[in-house]
Amino acid sequence: MSVSTCLIVDDSRIIRKVARRIVEGLGYEVDEAADGAEALAYCTSALPDVLLIDWNMPVMDGLSFLRRMRALPGGDRPKALFCSIETRPEKIAEALAAGADDYVMKPFDGDILQSKLSEVGAIAA
Amino acid sequence: MTPDDFDKLQTLLATRAGYRLARDRIHLAEHRLGPIARREGYANVEALLANLWAQPVASLAWAVIECLLNPETWFRRDRTPFNVLEKELLPALAQARADGRVRIWSAGCSTGQEAWSIAMAGKAAGAHVEVIGTDLAQRAIEKARSRIYSGFEVQRGLTAHAMLRWFEPAEDQWRVRDELAEKVRFGRSNLLDEPTDDVRFDVIFCRNVITDMEPQRRARVLDGLERRLVDDGCLFLGVDERLEGETVAFRPVNGRKGLYVKAPSSLRRAA
Repeated sequence: MSVSTCLIVDDSRIIRKVARRIVEGLGYEVDEAADGAEALAYCTSALPDVLLIDWNMPVMDGLSFLRRMRALPGGDRPKALFCSIETRPEKIAEALAAGADDYVMKPFDGDILQSKLSEVGAIAA
Repeated sequence: MTPDDFDKLQTLLATRAGYRLARDRIHLAEHRLGPIARREGYANVEALLANLWAQPVASLAWAVIECLLNPETWFRRDRTPFNVLEKELLPALAQARADGRVRIWSAGCSTGQEAWSIAMAGKAAGAHVEVIGTDLAQRAIEKARSRIYSGFEVQRGLTAHAMLRWFEPAEDQWRVRDELAEKVRFGRSNLLDEPTDDVRFDVIFCRNVITDMEPQRRARVLDGLERRLVDDGCLFLGVDERLEGETVAFRPVNGRKGLYVKAPSSLRRAA
Protein backbone atom coordinates (compact mmCIF):
# COMPACT_ATOMS: atom_id res chain seq x y z
CA MET A 1 0.00 0.00 0.00
CA SER A 2 1.42 3.38 -0.98
CA VAL A 3 1.73 6.15 1.60
CA SER A 4 -0.86 8.93 1.44
CA THR A 5 0.44 12.36 0.54
CA CYS A 6 -0.46 15.79 1.87
CA LEU A 7 0.45 19.20 0.45
CA ILE A 8 0.49 22.08 2.93
CA VAL A 9 -0.08 25.42 1.22
CA ASP A 10 0.65 28.37 3.52
CA ASP A 11 2.87 31.42 3.32
CA SER A 12 3.81 31.11 6.98
CA ARG A 13 6.79 28.85 7.51
CA ILE A 14 5.80 28.38 11.15
CA ILE A 15 2.25 27.27 10.31
CA ARG A 16 3.64 24.86 7.70
CA LYS A 17 5.99 23.43 10.30
CA VAL A 18 3.27 22.98 12.92
CA ALA A 19 0.81 21.48 10.42
CA ARG A 20 3.53 19.21 9.01
CA ARG A 21 4.24 17.75 12.42
CA ILE A 22 0.54 17.00 13.01
CA VAL A 23 -0.10 15.51 9.57
CA GLU A 24 3.10 13.44 9.60
CA GLY A 25 1.94 12.08 12.95
CA LEU A 26 -1.18 10.84 11.17
CA GLY A 27 1.00 8.88 8.72
CA TYR A 28 1.13 11.23 5.74
CA GLU A 29 4.08 12.05 3.53
CA VAL A 30 4.15 15.85 3.47
CA ASP A 31 5.24 18.49 0.97
CA GLU A 32 4.98 22.25 1.32
CA ALA A 33 4.13 25.19 -0.93
CA ALA A 34 4.40 28.87 0.08
CA ASP A 35 1.65 30.22 -2.16
CA GLY A 36 -1.12 29.19 -4.57
CA ALA A 37 1.03 29.41 -7.70
CA GLU A 38 3.67 27.13 -6.23
CA ALA A 39 0.94 24.71 -5.13
CA LEU A 40 -0.68 24.74 -8.58
CA ALA A 41 2.64 23.91 -10.24
CA TYR A 42 3.05 21.03 -7.79
CA CYS A 43 -0.47 19.72 -8.45
CA THR A 44 -0.04 19.91 -12.23
CA SER A 45 2.64 17.24 -12.01
CA ALA A 46 1.10 15.11 -9.26
CA LEU A 47 -2.05 15.51 -7.17
CA PRO A 48 -1.73 14.83 -3.44
CA ASP A 49 -4.38 12.90 -1.48
CA VAL A 50 -4.99 15.75 0.94
CA LEU A 51 -4.43 19.52 0.80
CA LEU A 52 -4.34 22.03 3.65
CA ILE A 53 -4.84 25.45 2.08
CA ASP A 54 -4.39 28.89 3.63
CA TRP A 55 -6.62 31.67 2.32
CA ASN A 56 -4.52 34.85 2.19
CA MET A 57 -1.21 34.30 0.42
CA PRO A 58 0.94 36.37 -1.94
CA VAL A 59 1.04 35.64 -5.70
CA MET A 60 -2.09 33.44 -5.73
CA ASP A 61 -4.55 33.16 -2.82
CA GLY A 62 -6.05 29.93 -1.57
CA LEU A 63 -9.47 30.37 -3.13
CA SER A 64 -8.06 30.98 -6.65
CA PHE A 65 -5.74 28.04 -6.23
CA LEU A 66 -8.54 25.75 -5.03
CA ARG A 67 -10.78 26.59 -8.02
CA ARG A 68 -7.95 25.99 -10.48
CA MET A 69 -6.84 22.80 -8.76
CA ARG A 70 -10.41 21.43 -8.92
CA ALA A 71 -10.42 22.15 -12.68
CA LEU A 72 -7.33 19.98 -13.28
CA PRO A 73 -7.86 16.45 -14.64
CA GLY A 74 -8.61 14.35 -11.52
CA GLY A 75 -8.74 17.55 -9.47
CA ASP A 76 -12.01 16.51 -7.84
CA ARG A 77 -10.27 13.62 -6.06
CA PRO A 78 -8.03 15.26 -3.41
CA LYS A 79 -9.58 16.11 -0.04
CA ALA A 80 -9.09 19.84 0.39
CA LEU A 81 -9.21 21.46 3.85
CA PHE A 82 -9.18 25.23 3.94
CA CYS A 83 -7.27 26.56 6.96
CA SER A 84 -7.69 30.24 7.73
CA ILE A 85 -8.02 32.81 10.51
CA GLU A 86 -11.22 33.95 8.73
CA THR A 87 -14.21 33.02 10.96
CA ARG A 88 -17.13 34.89 9.36
CA PRO A 89 -19.81 32.33 8.41
CA GLU A 90 -20.34 33.82 4.94
CA LYS A 91 -16.61 33.57 4.18
CA ILE A 92 -16.48 29.97 5.43
CA ALA A 93 -19.50 29.17 3.25
CA GLU A 94 -17.72 30.78 0.28
CA ALA A 95 -14.70 28.50 0.71
CA LEU A 96 -16.94 25.43 0.97
CA ALA A 97 -18.83 26.51 -2.16
CA ALA A 98 -15.53 26.88 -4.01
CA GLY A 99 -14.84 23.19 -3.51
CA ALA A 100 -13.28 22.80 -0.06
CA ASP A 101 -14.26 19.52 1.62
CA ASP A 102 -13.96 21.14 5.01
CA TYR A 103 -12.82 24.32 6.68
CA VAL A 104 -10.52 24.70 9.67
CA MET A 105 -10.42 27.95 11.65
CA LYS A 106 -6.99 28.92 12.92
CA PRO A 107 -5.71 28.33 15.47
CA PHE A 108 -6.21 24.58 15.32
CA ASP A 109 -4.59 21.60 17.05
CA GLY A 110 -3.95 17.95 16.32
CA ASP A 111 -7.30 16.78 17.71
CA ILE A 112 -9.19 19.14 15.42
CA LEU A 113 -7.21 18.26 12.30
CA GLN A 114 -7.55 14.56 13.01
CA SER A 115 -11.31 14.80 13.53
CA LYS A 116 -11.73 16.92 10.38
CA LEU A 117 -9.69 14.48 8.30
CA SER A 118 -11.75 11.56 9.57
CA GLU A 119 -15.04 13.41 8.90
CA VAL A 120 -14.05 13.91 5.25
CA GLY A 121 -12.99 10.26 5.05
CA ALA A 122 -9.27 10.92 4.54
CA ILE A 123 -8.32 8.82 7.58
CA ALA A 124 -10.04 6.11 9.60
CA ALA A 125 -11.92 7.43 12.64
CA MET B 1 -0.92 17.27 50.06
CA THR B 2 -0.14 14.54 52.58
CA PRO B 3 -0.75 10.81 51.93
CA ASP B 4 -3.52 11.08 54.52
CA ASP B 5 -5.15 13.92 52.53
CA PHE B 6 -5.01 11.79 49.44
CA ASP B 7 -6.61 8.81 51.23
CA LYS B 8 -9.44 11.04 52.35
CA LEU B 9 -9.84 12.45 48.84
CA GLN B 10 -10.07 8.90 47.48
CA THR B 11 -12.81 8.09 49.98
CA LEU B 12 -14.69 11.31 49.24
CA LEU B 13 -14.66 10.68 45.50
CA ALA B 14 -15.60 7.00 45.87
CA THR B 15 -18.50 7.47 48.28
CA ARG B 16 -20.07 10.55 46.71
CA ALA B 17 -19.36 10.02 43.01
CA GLY B 18 -18.33 6.36 42.74
CA TYR B 19 -14.94 7.07 41.17
CA ARG B 20 -11.59 5.46 41.86
CA LEU B 21 -8.73 7.92 42.21
CA ALA B 22 -5.53 6.02 41.48
CA ARG B 23 -2.52 6.88 43.64
CA ASP B 24 -0.54 8.05 40.61
CA ARG B 25 -3.05 10.88 40.21
CA ILE B 26 -1.84 12.68 43.33
CA HIS B 27 0.00 15.37 41.34
CA LEU B 28 -2.92 15.83 39.00
CA ALA B 29 -5.23 16.22 42.02
CA GLU B 30 -2.93 18.80 43.55
CA HIS B 31 -2.73 20.68 40.26
CA ARG B 32 -6.52 20.75 39.83
CA LEU B 33 -7.20 21.75 43.44
CA GLY B 34 -4.96 24.82 43.23
CA PRO B 35 -7.50 27.02 41.43
CA ILE B 36 -10.29 25.87 43.80
CA ALA B 37 -8.19 26.84 46.81
CA ARG B 38 -7.53 30.28 45.28
CA ARG B 39 -11.16 30.78 44.30
CA GLU B 40 -12.40 29.86 47.78
CA GLY B 41 -9.85 32.10 49.47
CA TYR B 42 -7.48 29.54 50.99
CA ALA B 43 -3.72 30.10 51.23
CA ASN B 44 -3.01 26.78 49.53
CA VAL B 45 -4.36 23.30 48.80
CA GLU B 46 -3.36 22.00 52.25
CA ALA B 47 -5.39 24.74 53.95
CA LEU B 48 -8.39 23.99 51.74
CA LEU B 49 -8.26 20.28 52.54
CA ALA B 50 -7.67 20.84 56.28
CA ASN B 51 -10.81 22.96 56.39
CA LEU B 52 -12.77 20.46 54.31
CA TRP B 53 -11.91 17.58 56.68
CA ALA B 54 -12.70 19.71 59.76
CA GLN B 55 -16.05 21.05 58.51
CA PRO B 56 -17.34 19.11 55.55
CA VAL B 57 -19.35 21.83 53.78
CA ALA B 58 -21.34 20.21 50.99
CA SER B 59 -20.67 22.92 48.38
CA LEU B 60 -16.91 22.81 48.97
CA ALA B 61 -16.85 19.01 48.85
CA TRP B 62 -18.67 19.06 45.51
CA ALA B 63 -16.33 21.71 44.11
CA VAL B 64 -13.43 19.44 45.05
CA ILE B 65 -15.11 16.35 43.56
CA GLU B 66 -16.00 18.19 40.36
CA CYS B 67 -12.46 19.27 39.67
CA LEU B 68 -11.25 15.66 39.93
CA LEU B 69 -13.68 14.31 37.31
CA ASN B 70 -12.58 13.85 33.72
CA PRO B 71 -14.54 16.41 31.67
CA GLU B 72 -13.17 15.42 28.27
CA THR B 73 -15.77 15.26 25.52
CA TRP B 74 -16.24 16.41 21.97
CA PHE B 75 -18.89 16.60 19.29
CA ARG B 76 -19.86 13.32 17.63
CA ARG B 77 -17.20 11.49 19.65
CA ASP B 78 -16.51 8.12 17.96
CA ARG B 79 -19.05 9.08 15.26
CA THR B 80 -20.53 5.56 14.84
CA PRO B 81 -23.04 5.77 17.73
CA PHE B 82 -24.54 8.93 16.23
CA ASN B 83 -24.76 7.35 12.79
CA VAL B 84 -26.42 4.23 14.23
CA LEU B 85 -28.84 6.48 16.13
CA GLU B 86 -29.68 8.56 13.06
CA LYS B 87 -29.90 5.82 10.43
CA GLU B 88 -31.16 2.82 12.40
CA LEU B 89 -32.62 3.55 15.81
CA LEU B 90 -34.50 6.81 15.28
CA PRO B 91 -36.45 5.72 12.19
CA ALA B 92 -37.55 2.54 14.00
CA LEU B 93 -38.31 4.21 17.35
CA ALA B 94 -40.19 7.16 15.87
CA GLN B 95 -42.46 4.72 14.10
CA ALA B 96 -42.93 2.54 17.20
CA ARG B 97 -44.00 5.46 19.43
CA ALA B 98 -47.64 6.48 19.20
CA ASP B 99 -46.84 10.20 19.52
CA GLY B 100 -43.66 9.92 17.42
CA ARG B 101 -41.58 11.37 20.25
CA VAL B 102 -38.26 9.77 21.12
CA ARG B 103 -36.77 10.55 24.53
CA ILE B 104 -33.02 10.37 24.86
CA TRP B 105 -30.78 10.80 27.90
CA SER B 106 -27.15 11.87 27.74
CA ALA B 107 -26.07 10.56 31.16
CA GLY B 108 -22.76 12.07 32.26
CA CYS B 109 -22.89 14.68 29.51
CA SER B 110 -20.08 16.89 30.84
CA THR B 111 -20.15 20.18 28.89
CA GLY B 112 -22.97 19.02 26.61
CA GLN B 113 -21.35 18.11 23.29
CA GLU B 114 -22.88 14.62 23.33
CA ALA B 115 -26.39 15.94 23.97
CA TRP B 116 -26.09 18.44 21.11
CA SER B 117 -24.74 15.73 18.81
CA ILE B 118 -27.78 13.57 19.65
CA ALA B 119 -30.11 16.47 18.84
CA MET B 120 -28.28 16.98 15.51
CA ALA B 121 -28.81 13.30 14.66
CA GLY B 122 -32.49 13.72 15.54
CA LYS B 123 -32.85 16.68 13.19
CA ALA B 124 -30.99 14.83 10.43
CA ALA B 125 -33.33 11.84 10.83
CA GLY B 126 -36.38 14.12 10.82
CA ALA B 127 -37.38 12.61 14.17
CA HIS B 128 -39.05 14.37 17.08
CA VAL B 129 -36.42 13.94 19.78
CA GLU B 130 -36.34 15.29 23.33
CA VAL B 131 -32.86 15.21 24.82
CA ILE B 132 -31.97 15.48 28.50
CA GLY B 133 -28.32 15.98 29.46
CA THR B 134 -27.25 15.43 33.05
CA ASP B 135 -23.92 15.56 34.80
CA LEU B 136 -22.55 15.50 38.32
CA ALA B 137 -20.52 18.67 37.72
CA GLN B 138 -22.46 21.90 38.20
CA ARG B 139 -19.90 23.93 36.23
CA ALA B 140 -20.08 21.57 33.27
CA ILE B 141 -23.87 21.85 33.28
CA GLU B 142 -23.66 25.65 33.42
CA LYS B 143 -21.44 25.65 30.36
CA ALA B 144 -23.76 23.24 28.54
CA ARG B 145 -26.71 25.51 29.35
CA SER B 146 -24.84 28.57 28.10
CA ARG B 147 -24.54 26.70 24.76
CA ILE B 148 -21.40 28.70 23.98
CA TYR B 149 -18.28 26.92 22.69
CA SER B 150 -14.82 28.11 21.69
CA GLY B 151 -13.41 27.76 18.19
CA PHE B 152 -11.38 24.77 19.37
CA GLU B 153 -14.40 23.05 20.94
CA VAL B 154 -16.80 23.67 18.08
CA GLN B 155 -14.34 22.33 15.51
CA ARG B 156 -13.51 19.15 17.40
CA GLY B 157 -15.73 16.54 15.77
CA LEU B 158 -17.83 18.81 13.56
CA THR B 159 -17.39 19.65 9.90
CA ALA B 160 -17.55 23.33 8.97
CA HIS B 161 -20.83 22.55 7.25
CA ALA B 162 -22.33 21.17 10.49
CA MET B 163 -20.85 24.09 12.44
CA LEU B 164 -22.54 26.64 10.18
CA ARG B 165 -25.77 24.66 10.24
CA TRP B 166 -26.09 24.41 14.03
CA PHE B 167 -24.09 27.35 15.44
CA GLU B 168 -23.98 31.13 15.12
CA PRO B 169 -21.06 33.41 15.97
CA ALA B 170 -21.17 34.92 19.47
CA GLU B 171 -18.32 37.42 19.68
CA ASP B 172 -15.26 35.23 19.16
CA GLN B 173 -17.09 32.04 20.17
CA TRP B 174 -20.00 29.99 18.80
CA ARG B 175 -23.53 29.59 20.16
CA VAL B 176 -25.91 26.68 19.50
CA ARG B 177 -28.82 27.91 17.39
CA ASP B 178 -32.31 28.14 18.92
CA GLU B 179 -33.79 25.41 16.72
CA LEU B 180 -31.34 22.89 18.20
CA ALA B 181 -31.35 24.39 21.71
CA GLU B 182 -35.09 23.89 22.08
CA LYS B 183 -34.59 20.11 21.76
CA VAL B 184 -32.22 19.81 24.73
CA ARG B 185 -32.47 20.43 28.47
CA PHE B 186 -29.67 20.14 30.99
CA GLY B 187 -29.71 19.42 34.71
CA ARG B 188 -27.36 18.35 37.47
CA SER B 189 -27.81 14.81 38.68
CA ASN B 190 -25.80 12.05 40.33
CA LEU B 191 -25.99 8.65 38.63
CA LEU B 192 -25.55 7.01 42.05
CA ASP B 193 -28.87 8.44 43.27
CA GLU B 194 -31.93 6.22 43.07
CA PRO B 195 -34.47 7.41 40.49
CA THR B 196 -37.18 9.29 42.38
CA ASP B 197 -39.61 9.67 39.50
CA ASP B 198 -40.80 7.40 36.70
CA VAL B 199 -39.26 9.26 33.75
CA ARG B 200 -38.18 6.71 31.15
CA PHE B 201 -36.03 7.03 28.05
CA ASP B 202 -36.01 5.28 24.69
CA VAL B 203 -32.25 5.63 24.29
CA ILE B 204 -29.57 6.28 26.91
CA PHE B 205 -26.03 7.41 26.15
CA CYS B 206 -23.69 6.76 29.09
CA ARG B 207 -20.33 6.69 27.37
CA ASN B 208 -16.93 6.77 29.05
CA VAL B 209 -18.62 7.47 32.38
CA ILE B 210 -18.48 4.17 34.31
CA THR B 211 -15.01 2.87 33.39
CA ASP B 212 -13.19 4.64 36.22
CA MET B 213 -15.85 3.76 38.79
CA GLU B 214 -15.52 1.21 41.55
CA PRO B 215 -17.15 -2.07 40.41
CA GLN B 216 -19.92 -1.92 43.03
CA ARG B 217 -20.79 1.65 42.12
CA ARG B 218 -20.73 0.76 38.45
CA ALA B 219 -23.32 -1.94 39.13
CA ARG B 220 -25.48 0.58 40.96
CA VAL B 221 -25.29 3.04 38.06
CA LEU B 222 -26.17 0.31 35.56
CA ASP B 223 -29.12 -0.69 37.70
CA GLY B 224 -30.35 2.90 37.65
CA LEU B 225 -29.91 3.09 33.87
CA GLU B 226 -31.89 -0.13 33.46
CA ARG B 227 -34.76 1.31 35.49
CA ARG B 228 -34.73 4.47 33.39
CA LEU B 229 -34.75 2.63 30.05
CA VAL B 230 -37.95 1.41 28.38
CA ASP B 231 -38.05 -2.33 27.66
CA ASP B 232 -37.41 -1.94 23.93
CA GLY B 233 -34.85 0.83 24.41
CA CYS B 234 -31.12 0.95 23.74
CA LEU B 235 -28.09 1.85 25.82
CA PHE B 236 -24.83 3.19 24.38
CA LEU B 237 -21.70 2.70 26.45
CA GLY B 238 -18.28 3.87 25.22
CA VAL B 239 -16.97 1.92 22.23
CA ASP B 240 -14.17 0.47 24.37
CA GLU B 241 -16.30 -0.22 27.44
CA ARG B 242 -17.28 -3.81 28.26
CA LEU B 243 -19.70 -5.12 30.83
CA GLU B 244 -18.09 -7.93 32.78
CA GLY B 245 -20.45 -9.43 35.31
CA GLU B 246 -21.49 -6.10 36.90
CA THR B 247 -25.00 -6.66 35.66
CA VAL B 248 -27.21 -9.21 33.97
CA ALA B 249 -29.64 -6.46 32.95
CA PHE B 250 -28.07 -5.76 29.55
CA ARG B 251 -26.76 -7.76 26.65
CA PRO B 252 -24.54 -6.44 23.82
CA VAL B 253 -25.91 -6.09 20.30
CA ASN B 254 -23.83 -8.07 17.83
CA GLY B 255 -21.82 -6.00 15.38
CA ARG B 256 -22.66 -2.72 17.11
CA LYS B 257 -19.77 -1.76 19.36
CA GLY B 258 -20.94 -0.24 22.63
CA LEU B 259 -24.65 -0.81 21.95
CA TYR B 260 -26.70 -2.72 24.53
CA VAL B 261 -30.32 -3.76 24.94
CA LYS B 262 -32.11 -5.20 27.96
CA ALA B 263 -31.56 -8.87 28.64
CA PRO B 264 -34.77 -10.96 28.60
CA SER B 265 -34.54 -11.45 32.38
CA SER B 266 -34.81 -7.73 33.06
CA LEU B 267 -37.85 -6.99 30.91
CA ARG B 268 -40.62 -5.64 33.09
CA ARG B 269 -43.71 -7.80 33.05
CA ALA B 270 -46.87 -6.13 31.89
CA ALA B 271 -49.04 -5.24 34.86
